[in-house]
Amino acid sequence: MDPLILSSRIASSGLKVQESRLRIVSQNLANAQSTGETPGADPYRRKTISFSWELDQASGAAMANVSRIGQDPVDFDVEFDPSHPAADDKGMVKMPNVNMLIELADMREANRSYEANLQTIKQTRELLSLTLDLLRASQ
Amino acid sequence: MIDMIGGVAGRAIGNIIEQSLDSAQGGSAVSGGQSTGASFADTLMNMGNDVITNLKDAEVQSFKAVSGEADTREVVDALMSAEQSLQTAIAIRDKLVTAYLEIARMQI
Repeated sequence: MDPLILSSRIASSGLKVQESRLRIVSQNLANAQSTGETPGADPYRRKTISFSWELDQASGAAMANVSRIGQDPVDFDVEFDPSHPAADDKGMVKMPNVNMLIELADMREANRSYEANLQTIKQTRELLSLTLDLLRASQ
Repeated sequence: MIDMIGGVAGRAIGNIIEQSLDSAQGGSAVSGGQSTGASFADTLMNMGNDVITNLKDAEVQSFKAVSGEADTREVVDALMSAEQSLQTAIAIRDKLVTAYLEIARMQI
């Protein structure tokens, strides 16, 4: 297969992976305050995402792939809030183990990776059209 | 300079056509001088069909995007590859037409 077309396809798999990553980050951020509803219930547990590479059989290229969406095993924070519906008998509420700072850094990294892959696609497009211009220019 | 580029492009097209001729002949197992014209037409037709398939795919993806089913990325991918194959087809067609006109204008 044409290496140029192939590289834009690989970059496209990178875009897909980063999209999923951003989705996980937005889930974590949106649920940063989501607690349980019954006394002592567990709140939202932070989700993690990991990537792997997958060999494309037809072309032999390594495509990026989401390998696993897991859960962060870190302990929950507890806050004292007796009026909360999820407060246990001591008035403590379990809060999600989401760290905003980490999520924001992760979001920024996903953003940068996405931009890098987009740039690859742009570059391959430009090279392809420059090569095609050879045909046009010689008319 | 222009001649040189023309030569390179012409050779590239020649290679592509030869390769596709070879593959077309291998596929349909035709032989002899007569078959060359037919397989060349076949080659062009295959190319045209590829372009049309790509365009249709892009159309399907666009409709999916309108109804909110497809990812933006997939739509852009499909449209870009359709555009790419259309541009290639147009460039090669123009080249062939120019070659034909050149022969037609030849002094006998």
